[in-house]
Amino acid sequence: MARTVAKRFRAGVPGYVLVAPAVLVTVVFLVIPMIQTGYWSLTVYNGVKAPQFVGLQNYIDLLTDPRFLRIIQNTVFFVVMGMAIGPVLGLASAVLLNQSVRLRALFRTTFFLPTMVSLVAVATVWKMLYQDQGMINQVLAAFGLSGTDWLNDPTTALPAVVVTSIWQGFGFETVVFLAALQSIPREFYDAARVDGAGAWAQFRHVTLPGLRYTIVFIYVVGIIGSFQVFDQVFVMTQGRPGISTRTMVYELVEQFQNLRLGTASAIAYILLIILAVMSYIQIRLGEGD
Amino acid sequence: MSRLTRPVILLAAAVLAAGACGSAATQSPTSTVTSASGGPATATATATAAAVATPAAATPEASVDTTPVTLTVWDYYGKDTTPFTPDAIAAFQKEYPWITVDRQDLDWDTFIQKFNTAVASGQGPDVATLDMTWIPTLASNDVLADMKTLGGGLMNGKAIADQYAAGPLEAMTYGDKYVTAMSDFDAYVLYYRADLLEAAGVAVPKTWDELRAAAKAIAKDTNGDGKADKYRYAVRPNTFHFSQFLFQNGGSLLSPDNTKAAFNGPEGVSALEFNQSLVADGSGLYWSDADGDLPPAIADERVAMFSDGPYYMGLLKSGVPDQAGKWRVAIAPYSKQPGSYLGGTGLSIPASSTHQAAAWKFIEFFLRPEQQALVYTVAGAMPATTAALQGPDLTKPDPYFGGQIPSADFLETLKTSTHFPYVSAWSDIDTAIGENLDAALVGKATAQKALDDAAAAADAALAK
Repeated sequence: MARTVAKRFRAGVPGYVLVAPAVLVTVVFLVIPMIQTGYWSLTVYNGVKAPQFVGLQNYIDLLTDPRFLRIIQNTVFFVVMGMAIGPVLGLASAVLLNQSVRLRALFRTTFFLPTMVSLVAVATVWKMLYQDQGMINQVLAAFGLSGTDWLNDPTTALPAVVVTSIWQGFGFETVVFLAALQSIPREFYDAARVDGAGAWAQFRHVTLPGLRYTIVFIYVVGIIGSFQVFDQVFVMTQGRPGISTRTMVYELVEQFQNLRLGTASAIAYILLIILAVMSYIQIRLGEGD
Repeated sequence: MSRLTRPVILLAAAVLAAGACGSAATQSPTSTVTSASGGPATATATATAAAVATPAAATPEASVDTTPVTLTVWDYYGKDTTPFTPDAIAAFQKEYPWITVDRQDLDWDTFIQKFNTAVASGQGPDVATLDMTWIPTLASNDVLADMKTLGGGLMNGKAIADQYAAGPLEAMTYGDKYVTAMSDFDAYVLYYRADLLEAAGVAVPKTWDELRAAAKAIAKDTNGDGKADKYRYAVRPNTFHFSQFLFQNGGSLLSPDNTKAAFNGPEGVSALEFNQSLVADGSGLYWSDADGDLPPAIADERVAMFSDGPYYMGLLKSGVPDQAGKWRVAIAPYSKQPGSYLGGTGLSIPASSTHQAAAWKFIEFFLRPEQQALVYTVAGAMPATTAALQGPDLTKPDPYFGGQIPSADFLETLKTSTHFPYVSAWSDIDTAIGENLDAALVGKATAQKALDDAAAAADAALAK
């Protein structure tokens, strides 16, 4: 028995050696920080004095604080709006680009271009567009409509940030959907047409099932990214006006800046739990028939 | 989806969430090491070389440790506007040949995050430029060394207490410690377009009522939509600017024992209502912190009056040079008494520094009048030590301000300025005030409601 185990181990040595660097990096830069962050989330810790264990108090304080609940609400709004519109736009534009349209390569490049631009640069440009005397209001004025100070109005600031994010991100979704669409065998459509399926029926019974794993991928990655929204908020509004655009990661960073490492760590873990649950649900949905 | 894929995706979620904690703190600052021989490795600012004292090497006192050390200095003044010029650092190193200075440039915007990260990991600098608004949080967390102990209460051979005015001295003090040494100060005066006031036949405002009248007189509707869009007064929804009006109205931010919010009293409410009225009648332009600094709005003439600190002199000169000669400064108009928040930049030594004695030498050197002059001539800010404030550079007429001597109004304002309370909950209070000022100034809440909401949040933070 012992000889068998030793033999197996010897046979596996080259494999262990090959994976060792990756395991080491993962343990040092992922597992240990996560464990440490988890411990800090149960303490009052400022990075200077020794952590003081307080159990779940940081979590209780956060989850009973109406301000933090509003911050979660903002984040969920950002995720829901972004995920309701962005992937749908990406899919629609991918379906259109999958037809034999003129200048398809140009459209594809144009749609993808914002994705390649730094989010900070995109946010800066949109911030200028949204200004009281910015281009959006000037265009509206040309049509006799009056705009608003989009980013300084609590009712429009968060939707304005969402629009910027959708604009920046839907090109990525378009390209991914387009690649997936092109991998669906043409025979499936031919067979559907022979069975008398129209365009909508083909889309529903051939295209969508063929895109199932792509859709799961887009939503898993998109929701994780959306829950971590920070850059746009930092550049465009700094969480203002009031707390109307403050998101969980923005709050996390600010708590960290204020040397509240315990609270910041608790926010990171709340975010982690939300993302893990969301990802699990999506994956299960992707598995269903 | 395979059973292997699920944990991989969950792990990815974990990485992304936990990674949000530290990603912003990984950039390396730009470093400018000045060699011990005095030659700058990288040319930075055009130093006012003549102003830099270059005494011969100091004869070390018997008790001074002259073991060679490299002093890491984190500096947010900016590469081209730092008073720690290559010439000045060379002079310092000539005087203290066993100390080599490694000055590193960091952005103000990301400075405190990097500083906190470094301090938390025990890898902080030996000297740091710190915004005075960060001091309450840092001092209450015992992050900063006590300079009173390091210097025995003396700086350059004289009592520290004799080298600053009362306001800065109080701002440097936490408990019985000096946790920072002020290098420059920030107190708010009124900046105004003299040409516009003169054209409108309006005198420089001295009271709130006169400010309102002047703002109305110069604001213009240039596109015919019935709303003023040019030459307005900038209304800023932040604690710095609100506290100025609050102090001028006889109010205070917290109760005398720092346990309860006091800014929602009648003084605060009417101060905020005054700001609301400026926005409401169109003579005031709501300009949030997220909108950035004012120069773009000054350049296109949306703004013709605002309150701010000395560093705006530099911003105007570099950002709007074509408006040279049109701007002036004055004591900010007030209702009951002059007043302003007091801030600025302090030079601090992290408690984690292992070179505190050398760091103190560096700070002492750069707070001598010769080097303090560089704060004005190179950094464009107001030096904080009394001796420097009386120096020749600060009493010269400034052509950008039409030959005015702007420092005079800043010095007068300094006398009536008050620093923010040194309580560990200050960052929460500051955030609560700022967030609720927004609601009031964009018309979503009354001044009383906004300040009461902010006070409730402040009281909760103070009670923790």
